[in-house]
Amino acid sequence: MPIVELAGVTKAYRDKVAVNQLSLSIEPGQMFGLLGPNGSGKTSSIRMMIGITVPDSGEIRLFDQPFDRKNLIRVGYLPEERGLYKKMKVLDQLIFMGGLHGLKASEAHERANRWAKRMEIDGSLSKKTEELSKGMQQKIQFIAALMHDPDLVIMDEPFSGLDPVNATLLQDTLLELKEQGKAILFSTHRMDQVEKLCDAIALIHRGNLVLGGKVREIKSRYKRDRVILEFDGSAKFLESAEIAEAKNYSGHAEIKLKEDGDAQKLLAEAASMATIYRFELVEPSLEEIFIQAVGGRADA
Amino acid sequence: MHNIVLIAKREYLEQLRGKAFKVTTVLVPAIFAFVFFIAFLSGKNSGSGKHVVIAAQDAGLISSVKKLLLEDKDAKSVVDTVTVSSSQDKSALINMVDTKQIDGFLWIDKKADGSTTATYESQTAADLITSGRLRSALNHALEEQRLGQRGMSASEIETLLQRVEVDTQQIKNGKEVKSNAVSSFYSAYAMALLLTMTTMVYGLNVGRSVIQEKTSRIFEVMLATVKASDMLAGKLIGVGAVGLTQIAIWIAAALIFATTAFGAQLMTGNLDIHISWVQVVLFGVYFLLGYTLNSALFAGLGATLETEQELQQYSPLAAVPVWLSFSMMVLILSDPNSFWVVAASLFPPCTPIVMFLRMGSQMPPLWQIWLSIGLMLIAIVAVLWFSTRLYRIGILMYGKRATLPEILRWLRYS
Repeated sequence: MPIVELAGVTKAYRDKVAVNQLSLSIEPGQMFGLLGPNGSGKTSSIRMMIGITVPDSGEIRLFDQPFDRKNLIRVGYLPEERGLYKKMKVLDQLIFMGGLHGLKASEAHERANRWAKRMEIDGSLSKKTEELSKGMQQKIQFIAALMHDPDLVIMDEPFSGLDPVNATLLQDTLLELKEQGKAILFSTHRMDQVEKLCDAIALIHRGNLVLGGKVREIKSRYKRDRVILEFDGSAKFLESAEIAEAKNYSGHAEIKLKEDGDAQKLLAEAASMATIYRFELVEPSLEEIFIQAVGGRADA
Repeated sequence: MHNIVLIAKREYLEQLRGKAFKVTTVLVPAIFAFVFFIAFLSGKNSGSGKHVVIAAQDAGLISSVKKLLLEDKDAKSVVDTVTVSSSQDKSALINMVDTKQIDGFLWIDKKADGSTTATYESQTAADLITSGRLRSALNHALEEQRLGQRGMSASEIETLLQRVEVDTQQIKNGKEVKSNAVSSFYSAYAMALLLTMTTMVYGLNVGRSVIQEKTSRIFEVMLATVKASDMLAGKLIGVGAVGLTQIAIWIAAALIFATTAFGAQLMTGNLDIHISWVQVVLFGVYFLLGYTLNSALFAGLGATLETEQELQQYSPLAAVPVWLSFSMMVLILSDPNSFWVVAASLFPPCTPIVMFLRMGSQMPPLWQIWLSIGLMLIAIVAVLWFSTRLYRIGILMYGKRATLPEILRWLRYS
């Protein structure tokens, strides 16, 4: 049973099509990455999933039901434009947010304390938001999005502006939620993160779905045409007919094979001339796949 | 409904805990009391204590005028007299005014044909009160003199020219009630002013709160669970409740004050303040209606703006009905049932103020009060319809102030 399902969703603003015929589905226990450069339609898609805007056409289903606002209580949302009440105390703010997601004040109080400990901000609960650093405020927003134990977590660019320590903390939390069977969707323009964390992706470019599906399946569709080779001896094999492009960093070579290039032949040639310590046929990164998929345009 | 209550509660507590609430709760009544005290004092003392010189050729006339002026206890005038024979005397008097030895002089000139002309010359261009007193005294003295010349005795003249004060009585429900035009006016005026201030201030508060939430980007988090219309409703209820709380505090403080000796003296003494319970209830009703109308307007406006400074630029808009209402004040007080006054009191933006000013001279008919409430409710529904639409879209538009074509498009979209 998919938690989120978009079928042929389109949204246009005046003369600009923000999202065009987008279809995707997210299963429970799945970490889903919505990828694309800035302005590609990620935020527009997310806003439609949680009913902030309404699609011009197509269907959105949440929790295997046609979109219904009452189901939003099971969703945790972190928007790209973060916002908190500046003059409000952190604990009051979290209790208020919990209340909007159906938590009783006492329950929200208890959960806010628990999450604050986990996010290492329990000393700041009685402070006003404006007294806290940006990083701390980000953590409060994660708590606000997660404290009601949502079945679906939607985060728009959750890692932007986070320092490495806090990024890891959030990453671990998301992985834990995934283990618990929650569906997690996050958007980012940083492909390396998606590669590490996500099971499935949708790659959007100018509102259109360029690539979609499980990360492994997508990657397997693209040929492994890059080789990393570490060696000692003659580098003459880098002139092989199998190679399209090569860079040699004194014993560490990064090689791109020709379209019909044979990696095994290259290995044989190299082994005949030098001692090989490492020979790795590397799969293309998502970034490379994206660039290939959109035709390597500069605005991609 | 649950979310509306939560949002209203948050808004209520935040504003109640804010400094602005505490300061205005104490300062507004204090400023009002001060302003009215000053107005009362200056009204009582205006034109009094003037040092004037009566100048004429006729010594008898001069002394009569002086006697009459000194009889007016409120005037507390210092009156000197000069019997003049030439225009040189006038130059001397002008010099005395110029060097501020006297406030002014009354130059009485009797013509050969028996007619009299008089001029009051002073450094003040429009000292209406002093010139009024002088006119009254001079005419009275001339009448005495003319009647005396026709052979009447002093006692006959006194009987003939005896002055009569006109007292005012108001007829309410067929009964005569002692009325004090000045204090009725002041209490109605004060309530109208208070109503204007509170509805405007709290209306603007809603606009400001919308802009603050917009700049703090809190809307998008909220919109993920709450409908825009619920957010707006919660905000209006919360801020409105703050206004009602403040008014309740003022009423309670006024009631406590009334039990003090000084308060009791004010209620029955010179000022004779009379505010009926009907007026208190109507104050609450018109506050709620006026506030909702203003705040709905400012919520919609706030959603189209980016900064509080921009909102400030639009705030005179809210003052337009106030100017309109107060510009009709003379008509409202003299003829509270005339067509234009009734029309203004039924025009929703002006209703709360004009109705209260009308109450200063006469309680408007009940049907007009009900009609005005009905019309305000219709206006509120209409403004809310527009504002909710602007609010729904405007709160997610960051970065620039919306243009008129954009606003029209938002209205069409939603």
